[in-house]
Amino acid sequence: MQSSQYLNQLHTADKLSEEPWPEDATLYQPFEAEQILLPENASCLAVKAYLKMCNLPFGVRSCANAEHMSPGGRMTKLPFIRAGAFIFAEFEPIVNFVEQKDMAIGSWQDEDEKADMRTYVSLVENIFTMAELYVSFKNERVYKEVTAPRNGAVYPWPLNLMQNYSKRRNALRQLKVYQWHDLDIEHVIEKVAKCCETLEYKLKESPDTPFFFGDQPCELDAIAFGHLFSILTTRLPNMALAQTVQKFGHLVTFCRFIDEKYFQMRCLQD
Amino acid sequence: MPKSPAGGPMPKDPNSKYDLGKISARVDRVNVSGLLRTHNDYVQRAAEGLFKADNFQSMMLEAMAAKSYLHELGIFKDVSVHIDISRGADATPQGYEVTLKGNEYTRIMGSAGTEIGQNEGSLRTELTIPNILGRGESISLQGSYSSSRANDVQLKFWKPFFHTRFRENRPEVSFSVFRQTDRFNISSFQTTNLGYLIDFSAHTMLGVDLTHSLQYENSIRDLGLLNKSVPFAIRDHSGPKLASLLRYSLVFDNRDNNVFPTRGIMLKSVNEYCGLGGNVAYTSSMAHGEMNVPLFAGLVAQFCGRVGVMKETKKTTVLPINNLFYCGGPLTLRGFEYGCAGPVVEGTPIGAQTFWCTGAHLWTPLPFAGVFKGLASHFRMHFFYNMGNSNAFTTDNMRSAYGLGLAIKLAERARIELNYCIPLSRQATDKASNGFQLGIGYEFV
Repeated sequence: MQSSQYLNQLHTADKLSEEPWPEDATLYQPFEAEQILLPENASCLAVKAYLKMCNLPFGVRSCANAEHMSPGGRMTKLPFIRAGAFIFAEFEPIVNFVEQKDMAIGSWQDEDEKADMRTYVSLVENIFTMAELYVSFKNERVYKEVTAPRNGAVYPWPLNLMQNYSKRRNALRQLKVYQWHDLDIEHVIEKVAKCCETLEYKLKESPDTPFFFGDQPCELDAIAFGHLFSILTTRLPNMALAQTVQKFGHLVTFCRFIDEKYFQMRCLQD
Repeated sequence: MPKSPAGGPMPKDPNSKYDLGKISARVDRVNVSGLLRTHNDYVQRAAEGLFKADNFQSMMLEAMAAKSYLHELGIFKDVSVHIDISRGADATPQGYEVTLKGNEYTRIMGSAGTEIGQNEGSLRTELTIPNILGRGESISLQGSYSSSRANDVQLKFWKPFFHTRFRENRPEVSFSVFRQTDRFNISSFQTTNLGYLIDFSAHTMLGVDLTHSLQYENSIRDLGLLNKSVPFAIRDHSGPKLASLLRYSLVFDNRDNNVFPTRGIMLKSVNEYCGLGGNVAYTSSMAHGEMNVPLFAGLVAQFCGRVGVMKETKKTTVLPINNLFYCGGPLTLRGFEYGCAGPVVEGTPIGAQTFWCTGAHLWTPLPFAGVFKGLASHFRMHFFYNMGNSNAFTTDNMRSAYGLGLAIKLAERARIELNYCIPLSRQATDKASNGFQLGIGYEFV
């Protein structure tokens, strides 16, 4: 039954690949002001940036149980998008879905370049998501002062405590799977710094364009912006991550440029 | 020994040589033996009626009543009664001595078996520690597993107060912690409830015997989705919520049998008010009634009805879908698939805020029932006509079906029905099942 369902989904996916992007596509995410956590915020921002770069219209709906409504995913399960009869969660499945529709950015890239870019995307997604999870759940102060109150904000007592407990347990389990659980903060910073260095190096390869690959945006621009911008603009009791990213001037400039071009949030300090 | 229910006067046996009612008797002493863990005051009231007896017959009856009372206290495996003339210095001439000999339960009792629920069978295991503190307090751990719908684990502590002066009211208090999983396959979601329940139940005998139960439940209700393509109307409800509710239920039952009654009425109502804290708010009421009228030649006419209403309160933001009513299926509207006689979103049945359904039955014994006597008492045939509707209290667009079937009694509590159903009126979105339908349960319409 399950497999026939997947087959069915695959079949309809094929059928609908020629259909245009639905007008009422909606992105579901937690409440930005009081609920969303750093890793979730980063992935939501990345997806939004990607859709804006593709120039696809979408609405945003904030709901308290967005994570539970999500069909599931590899990391944060968020955001998820509802486009017509389809629901996809997280950055990569959404990107794959958009790419079926021939409206995706990056269609100008050749196979080699694409494979190259994919490597960067998965590097950025893994390193930054894990670092964000690490800071949010492993750092006692950040967890107590920010993560726990925000995650529990939408639940009444004592449900909030139980939700915090299970959320933290899941996050720690995830860190363990990626073998980040026994690192200390210096190692984490080191990994992030290395990742930033790689990104900055890539950015410098084409110094006269603002994007990573050539003069047009691609997936990497979206996901790098999502994570970097979230890290830079989220106030935490421990700003180690932000300070690390801050050291890479080109990346900060890149974030400011993308923000200016697609979002105009302008909350990135000089 | 006379086995008439407690208190009733024995019919006079004309063949009897002696009229036991005329033989005077006085109970001098009542002994209750076999009390190892139980406190004396817990069984004291067993003797109360015995001392009032003034003739031999009423003494016998009171002794039987005392025996069944001791059984109800839930501390003895079995009880035997010994009556002897009283001896000793302070014995009166017509004095008797009654000894109630009990055999207490062991410290731990375990059981495993199958149980019949509403349209499902389940495997059930239970571990009980009876009479922990000596006054009937018990703890039990129950687990039940069923393949189709619900699983649950429950740790329950209960204490009866049958030994107090309210023994006639049979008050009982219980506290349980439970975790229960319910699967709503047709609507593609499941709920996991984790919480505790405080229950107070009692009987009142103001004219009619009513069973009351007042419960407070505090639970976390986590709604999960069963597959990836769940309609958004259902998806919107996913995630955990905290419910805090009061539930009051009332039962009146004077039928002569639970499964195949021939006369009597059963009325039951369950009312819930949810919203004492937590983030789920609604009120819900459900009433079920059954009336049996004996006709001629063993034929019984039975009329059943059930109605449910769920409403918003001032605090309601959304009504929880897991508390909506499902109509249809072999227990409610025969001739429809389970839950499929109600509203539908994107092809998926979803519960209704209100529903009603009624059923008229004509029960007959099997033909040639006289030949098989004992066995035949487990079987009945019936002709039925069901009608009902969801989200409307009118007979416009109502659903109805008729048919006939065979019912089998299971353990004095449940019955299995095999019916041939012919749906008469239905709506386009309903899933009717024209043909044979099997139903297992204990509360049918």
